[in-house]
Amino acid sequence: MDLRFTDEQLQFQADVRAWITSNLDRPWSEHVADARHTPDSLVEVRRQWQKKLHEAGFLGMGWPEEWGGRGATEVEQALFEAEIHRADCPQVPNFLGIGLLGPALIHHGTEDQRRRFIPPMLSCDEIWCQGFSEPSSGSDLASLRTRAEPDGEDFRITGQKVWTTFGPWANWIFVLARTDLEDRYGGISFFLVPIDQAGVEMRPIRQITGESEFGEVFFDGALARREHLVGKPGEGWRIAMTVLGYERGAATLSNPAQYDGYLHDLIAGVRAQGDLERADVREKLGRLIVENEVMRSNGLRTLANLAAGQAPGPESSIEKILWSEFAQRQSDAALELLGPQAQLAPTSRDARGGVDWAYEYLWSRAGTIYSGSSEIQRNIIAKRVLGMPTR
Amino acid sequence: MQFDLDDDRELLRSSTRDLLEAEAPLAQTRSLMEDAADGYSKAFFGQLAELGYFGLLLSEEEGGAAMGAVGLAAVLTEMGRVALPGPFLESVMAAELLRRAEGEAAAGLLRRLLGGEALVVWADREGLAGAEPGPTETRLESGRIRGQKTFVPFGAQADALLVTTTGGVALVARPDAGWASTALPTLDHAQRFVRIELDGPAELLTLSDAALDEVRRLGSLGAAATLLGLMDRSLEITLAYMAEREAFGAPLASFQALQHRAADMLMKTETTRSAVFRAAWASDEGEPDAAFLVAVAKAWAGDAARRVCGEAIQMHGGVGYTWEYDPHVYLKRVKTLESFHGSTRAQIEAALERAPIAAE
Ligand SMILES: Cc1cc2nc3c(=O)[nH]c(=O)nc-3n(C[C@H](O)[C@H](O)[C@H](O)COP(=O)(O)OP(=O)(O)OC[C@H]3O[C@@H](n4cnc5c(N)ncnc54)[C@H](O)[C@@H]3O)c2cc1C
Repeated sequence: MDLRFTDEQLQFQADVRAWITSNLDRPWSEHVADARHTPDSLVEVRRQWQKKLHEAGFLGMGWPEEWGGRGATEVEQALFEAEIHRADCPQVPNFLGIGLLGPALIHHGTEDQRRRFIPPMLSCDEIWCQGFSEPSSGSDLASLRTRAEPDGEDFRITGQKVWTTFGPWANWIFVLARTDLEDRYGGISFFLVPIDQAGVEMRPIRQITGESEFGEVFFDGALARREHLVGKPGEGWRIAMTVLGYERGAATLSNPAQYDGYLHDLIAGVRAQGDLERADVREKLGRLIVENEVMRSNGLRTLANLAAGQAPGPESSIEKILWSEFAQRQSDAALELLGPQAQLAPTSRDARGGVDWAYEYLWSRAGTIYSGSSEIQRNIIAKRVLGMPTR
Repeated sequence: MQFDLDDDRELLRSSTRDLLEAEAPLAQTRSLMEDAADGYSKAFFGQLAELGYFGLLLSEEEGGAAMGAVGLAAVLTEMGRVALPGPFLESVMAAELLRRAEGEAAAGLLRRLLGGEALVVWADREGLAGAEPGPTETRLESGRIRGQKTFVPFGAQADALLVTTTGGVALVARPDAGWASTALPTLDHAQRFVRIELDGPAELLTLSDAALDEVRRLGSLGAAATLLGLMDRSLEITLAYMAEREAFGAPLASFQALQHRAADMLMKTETTRSAVFRAAWASDEGEPDAAFLVAVAKAWAGDAARRVCGEAIQMHGGVGYTWEYDPHVYLKRVKTLESFHGSTRAQIEAALERAPIAAE
């Protein structure tokens, strides 16, 4: 066993930390608490932050050099993500583009597609959104019905996508659509579609937090060019499923790092209000600390396996459930321990500052739904890891 | 980075599994629970001594195998899988105390312990009521020890005790008439706890408080590793049962409600593996957060194992409630390990105290 980072890796971590200190003018939580901001101006903050990260060479770090990468290892990517999450930075607008579409283009796209789309994706001159889910196809994604019909060389897309994160600000959408109505998996293709065209309508949807970060997209004969088909017709499902498995290392340490910051905020709040010596409070806090540390141990195990060139084991398939369900318990405890002040809007003059626990509480409900709900994750563990049969 | 065991420790782990399967399988645990007064197989422990298991942590110069906490965790996980009864972890802890003590008495006893000639256990606890040990009141005065120790593991069979007193740890040899002990039979039928009245000659060992803490921490880690083995095997047994048992015309394993609970059992087991081995590794490397990580591992393992082994009984249905089937053997050992070597609540408190993010 060896869970130690090398001196080089630690140096890299220190460099990232120093870079963040000198480049993050204002923590994200302060922006959020600033009543002068609008949803659009907050997105602009995020866009500027992404530009800075890109200019410093921190985005797409694991990609080949010509696509902005620096051949970074899984460990370096994980350390970078951990530092970013620890430091209360804005989230980059193009996280879905960089996380999913980038790898899809690198592994399955054409040279022209990479050249055309990757640079503006990294620089945030174009924002991408992900058009997979439909009103009748969420967990059962392969039942999707949006159609792509040939129109000469090109395709015309008709149907509806929904829960499209960042859709209201996006310029492009990557879409799974049917080129064959019969073949459940083999009939799905992967398209890159510009949103600013006749035949595409994007409507924001209001979320339980009150913001409208996602939307629904109506396609009515929207044009998707032949050269914007990724892979061959019918390869869309396979591409979509394999990209989910790339760059697995990057997220192994980021959630515990972020929750370190959150727990620090919670403990400081509890201490300030004079409750830290209460036995019931200590047990609650202690349990959260234990669970977060166990997640970090589990992430280090995944990372170590990846770094040693091994396929990640069962510990990696449980990660999504661990962090998403922990986040609910954590914010639940925070609202209980900090009392009603923690429910105040961050822009309120009487808000406590620091972590916006009311927002985290609501937002934590999403984590167990998106990217494969907790139930779907458990189905997958039962079938693929434990080998339990289907009825 | 590498999470897997290195070759030496992997060989240790796999040969331990083979040894246990051949010489101390679960069936033997079962019969020891029923019959043996000692609660464990002295013959098998003799074999363990001969193979050098009690010296796993000792350096090669000391005649040990230098397998470290990681090696010990690997061995204890295997022992947990067969719910091996007997004072193995206790012997390792006694060896760790003795090697830290100066003087010929300690060195001589250590040699006998390692050779399997003497059973030595640490009588650390006092008080009967409450989740946490009571304050130490046992005294050593002019070479005579007086007091009462509770929940001494396998104390009646011990050839010598290491006894925590107000003035330090004392070495007490078994009196000719035997220990003045009273059995404390718990729900774990493979345990042999006793209460012991001490009133006789004893010798103070030179052991610092830091040394005692180190050995207690090793006990916590060892308990966590054993808990991992208990739940690992409970999950296996349960999956096998669910694959074979049918209800409503289908195997239990095909019911989604049970699949999700099995997935939770896997999560508990694998997260415990991650936590235990990271804590063991950090202990071997002398990492500054080792004590924190051990507290985390023990706190987590106790809760996780209780859930997993409880679910094992539930998923077996009526047979899970019978003496004949195995799940109860595991749950009972879990209850022992959860309560000792630092209760779950005590470890949660320790984790909070030591957590870097909780510092002011
Ligand atoms: C904040 C947020 C952002 C999102 N962003 C995007 C995005 O950018 N792009 C995109 O394409 N999609 C996005 N999604 C959609 C997300 O992927 C889906 O919501 C998710 O796949 C669940 O699908 P559904 O909403 O149709 O729920 P359903 O599939 O109808 O599920 C409803 C409930 O039933 C459970 N369930 C369903 N099937 C099973 C089963 N077989 N066994 C047991 N339980 C089951 C589910 O777990 C859930 O609890 C986002 C969702 C959220 C909440």
